[in-house]
Amino acid sequence: MVERDLARRGVDTARTRGASYADVRFVRRAVEDAFVKNGHLDTIDRTDTFGFGVRVVADGAWGFAASQLVTPAEVDRVAALAVEIAKASATCKQRDAVLAPVQAQTGTYRTTIGIDPFAVPFEDRVGLLLAAEGAMRTVKGLRTTRANYEIWREDKLFISSEGADLEQTLYECGCGISAEAVGDGELQVRSYPAAGGRTQNQAGWEFVTKWDLVAHAPRVAEEAVALLTAKPCPQDVRTTVVIGDAQLMLQVHESCGHPIELDRALGTEAAFAGTSFLTTDRLGTFRYGSDKVNMRIDSTSPGGLGTFGWDDEGVPASEGWAVKDGIFVGYLMSRETAAALGKPSNGTMRADGWARLPLIRMTNVSLMPGDAGTLDDLIADTDDGIYMETNRSWSIDDKRLNFQFGTQIGWEITGGKLGAMLRNPTYTGITPEFWGSCDAVCSPSEWKMWGTPNCGKGQPGQVGHTGHGAAPARFRNVRVGVVR
Amino acid sequence: MSAELWTEAELRRICDRALRECDGDQAEALVLASTNELTRFANNVIHQNVASREAALQIRVVVGKRVGMVTTNDLGEDGIARAAKGASEVARAVPENPVFGGLGGAQPIPPSPSAFVDATASATPMDRATRVERLLRAARERKLTAAGYLSTGANEVAVANTGGVWGYSPSTLAAIEAVVTGDAGSAWAERSATDVRAIDIDAVTREAVEKCAAAQGPRDLAPGTYEVVLEPYAVADIAQFLGSVLTGQAVEEGRSFVGGKLGQKVTGEITFVDDPFDPASVPMPFDFEGQPSRTVELIAGGVAKAVVYDRQTALRTGGANTGHGLPPNPFASSQPFHLRIEPGTKTRDELIRDVDRGVLVTRFHYTRWVHQLRTIVTGMTRDGTFLIERGEVAHPVKNFRFTQSYHDALAGTLGIGKDLHLFAGGTFSFGARRVPAVRLAQFAFTGATQY
Repeated sequence: MVERDLARRGVDTARTRGASYADVRFVRRAVEDAFVKNGHLDTIDRTDTFGFGVRVVADGAWGFAASQLVTPAEVDRVAALAVEIAKASATCKQRDAVLAPVQAQTGTYRTTIGIDPFAVPFEDRVGLLLAAEGAMRTVKGLRTTRANYEIWREDKLFISSEGADLEQTLYECGCGISAEAVGDGELQVRSYPAAGGRTQNQAGWEFVTKWDLVAHAPRVAEEAVALLTAKPCPQDVRTTVVIGDAQLMLQVHESCGHPIELDRALGTEAAFAGTSFLTTDRLGTFRYGSDKVNMRIDSTSPGGLGTFGWDDEGVPASEGWAVKDGIFVGYLMSRETAAALGKPSNGTMRADGWARLPLIRMTNVSLMPGDAGTLDDLIADTDDGIYMETNRSWSIDDKRLNFQFGTQIGWEITGGKLGAMLRNPTYTGITPEFWGSCDAVCSPSEWKMWGTPNCGKGQPGQVGHTGHGAAPARFRNVRVGVVR
Repeated sequence: MSAELWTEAELRRICDRALRECDGDQAEALVLASTNELTRFANNVIHQNVASREAALQIRVVVGKRVGMVTTNDLGEDGIARAAKGASEVARAVPENPVFGGLGGAQPIPPSPSAFVDATASATPMDRATRVERLLRAARERKLTAAGYLSTGANEVAVANTGGVWGYSPSTLAAIEAVVTGDAGSAWAERSATDVRAIDIDAVTREAVEKCAAAQGPRDLAPGTYEVVLEPYAVADIAQFLGSVLTGQAVEEGRSFVGGKLGQKVTGEITFVDDPFDPASVPMPFDFEGQPSRTVELIAGGVAKAVVYDRQTALRTGGANTGHGLPPNPFASSQPFHLRIEPGTKTRDELIRDVDRGVLVTRFHYTRWVHQLRTIVTGMTRDGTFLIERGEVAHPVKNFRFTQSYHDALAGTLGIGKDLHLFAGGTFSFGARRVPAVRLAQFAFTGATQY
C-alpha cells in the first residue's frame, strides 16, 4: 500500500528532524448528499477527499501539518513543517507534553453494514426522497418541504512512531424530511425522524429505509400546518416535562457529553467552546443527576456515530460510565489529558478528516434506559405537564450549566393523557438541577441510538459525528416558556 | 514558512481542464483553496499549532434542466477528469429541476481593492509564537490565564464556466482571539485584518487583561429587560443573524423579517450595507458563481431597502442578481459577504456615559435561532458583563441568558459607536462584518447562570 509506505516515511522524517513522537494519518472520505426541495432535486453533491496529516511532539511540544498532495517529497515537507511548528510551540511551553502509555496496536476494523449505500441504484436513493417529499406536499398550507440523505464512507490509516498500524473503514447513512408552514407572523417546522435535517448512524442503506419516510410524511406535514394555529406554550411557568428521545439525545449531548470532555475541564477549549462545571475535583463525588440518571461512554455501541476500532491516537474502543446512579464518574479523555489525571486514555480522540488535528470528541454518550415502560406508560403516569418533541433551538453556557432548548412541538398532558398541541415550546434550567429532577426514564423498548453529524469544536473548526442513545424521560419542576 | 499559494495560473489550469472534460450543455468549475496556519494557546502555553494546505474543486454540469455536481481534492489531470466525468454522469441520471435557470454568462468584474498582503501570507510559526508569547507573558505576570489563537493564511477563490466566466480572488487574513481568565471572571479581545502587521498584539493584550481585572467577582443581577451597550463583539453576532435572512431566498421561503416590508421601517435609526469593495474589509468583487457583486444598501435608517440575491433565486423570484451567490449548497444560496453597520458619532465610552442604568455586554456565546421569522435568538453573555450606573461601569455581573428578537432590539437604537471593528473568518462563520458598538433601549435577559 503506497499510503503505508508514505506514512512510515512521514514518521521517519519527523523523527529524523527531532520529533520524540510522530503519527501520520491518511484519510480518504467519500460523501454523497442529496436534497429534494419543493418537488425537485435541489442539489446532489458527491465529494471525494484524500490527504494526510502529521502530528508530532518535538522539544516537548505539539506540531501538526497536513496536505492533500500525496507524494514522497510532500510527505517530507509536511513532516518537517510539523516539527518546525512544534519547535515554535516549545518556545512558550511550561512543561513537556506527556502521553499516557498505550500498547501499540495493529489491525483492521470495518463498520458492519447490511446494504452498501453506494451500491444502491442512484434512482432508488433519489426516488425515495422524491416520494417522501411528495407525500408531504399532499398537505395544503406548506411553504417549504425538504427531504435529504447522506451516505458516507471513510478509510483511515494510522501509523505511529510507537508501532501502531491501524486500518479502518467506517460507513454512515442518514436521512430526514421536514415541512415548513408560514402564516400570520408565524413560521413553524416539523421534521422526522429528528431535527437538523437528518439523523445518522453508522450503518448501511437499511438505516434509511427503516424510518419509512414516506409513511410519516403526511403526519409531519399536517403537524407543521396545525402548529400555525396551535395554542402557545404557557409562559414562564414551572411544570412537569416529558421529553421525547429525539430531543433528549441533544440534551445529553450538550449537558453531559460536552462537560465530560476532559480538555474542556482542563481549560484547553476555554476560548471557543468553553470549559466545564465538571471540574476534576468533582470526579467520583459530584451529584450530576438523580439516581435514575445513568450515562454511558461507549465507542463499541452498534450503529453509533462514535463507534470505531481505535481512536485517532490508536487507542482501542472502550466502554465505561460517565454518570452512574446520578454521580459523575467518568471523562472523555485523550492520551495527554488522561496522563494529567494519572489514568489511561479511554480513546476519544477523533479528527475531522486528514487536515485537522484529533481532538477529544464524544464517542457515543448515552442516557441509559430506565424502568418507566413505554412513552405511553410514562404519559399515563403523569397527571399534569407538557410533552415536548424534536429539537428546534439549543443553547448552553460556556461551562455547560445554563441551557435553553426549544422544541418543534409540544402537547399538554392532563390526567395521564395528551391534550392540546402547543407551539413554540421551550424549557430552560441549570444542568445538575435539571438532571436532578429526572424521576423516570423509559424502558429499553423505547431506547434508540441517535446521531448528531454536526457537532462543532476546535479552532480551526471541526465537525464531529457523535452518537447518543436515549429513551423518553420525565423531569419535574422545569421552567417552561420564553417565546411570547 | 511562507504560505505557498496555489496561484492564479494553476487554478486556471485546473478549471480549464475540468471544463474541457465535462460533457453537458453547460459546466462550471469552482476552486476554493487555502494555506492556513493557526497557533492556539490555553493555560498560558501553545497547546495546538497547525498548518494545512487545501484545495477543493467543485464541478457543476448542466444537461437541460438536470444538474450534477462532484467535488474532489484530487487536482491531478486524472483526478480532474474523473470528477468531470462523474458530474456529467450525475447530470444525466438525475431528474429535471424545473426551476433551474442555467449558469450565468460572463459579466464585467469591477476592480476592487486588494485583499492580499504578503506579510500575512509569509508569517511563520515562529512569528506567531513570538507574538503570542507577549500576550501569554502579560497574563502570567498578572496571574491570569490566557486562551485563544493567532492565525495567518491565504485563501484563493477561482471560478470559471463554459459561458466565459472567469474570476480569481486571492486574499489573506490574520486573526487573533483571546480570552483572559482570573479566579472569578474573564474578558475577551479579538482582531482581524488582511495585514498581520495591523494586529496590535499589545492592544489586544491590554484590552483583555485590563477588562479581566475589572470583571473579577461578578455579582447577581436579576434577569429582566435592561438598557444595554453592546460591544462590537456582540453586535457582530446580531449582524450575522440578521444578515443571514436579508436574502432573496429567506424572503422567498417566508423566513425573513423584511419579507413584504421593503420600504417600511423595520428597525431604529441604523443602516446595514453590504459592500464588497470596502477596503477595510476583505474585499472580493464577484461571488462564487463568478457574477459581479454589487454594493447593496439593505436597511437605511431603519427602513428595509433590499436583500441580496444569487442567480437562481433572482431568476425564480423576479429579483435582480446582486452577485452574492454562495458555492452551491442546499442550505443557503446567498449571503451578504461584506456586511457593514454604518458608524455613528460616539465613542464606546460616550455610549456608556449616556446610560443611567443598564448592562454592558462584551460578547455573546452559543447563539441560536429560537424563531427565525421574528428574529428571536437565545444565547448567553460571556467574558465581561457589567452593570452601568449613572454613566459609569459600576461592577461586573453574572452572565445572563437572553431571548430577544434582534431586529426588535435594534428598534430601540439609542446610539451607535463611531469606530467599526472587523470580524472575518471565525471558527464557523463565513464572510466579513464591520460593526460598531451600539446602545439599545431594551434587551431581554431571560435567565442567568452561576458565574
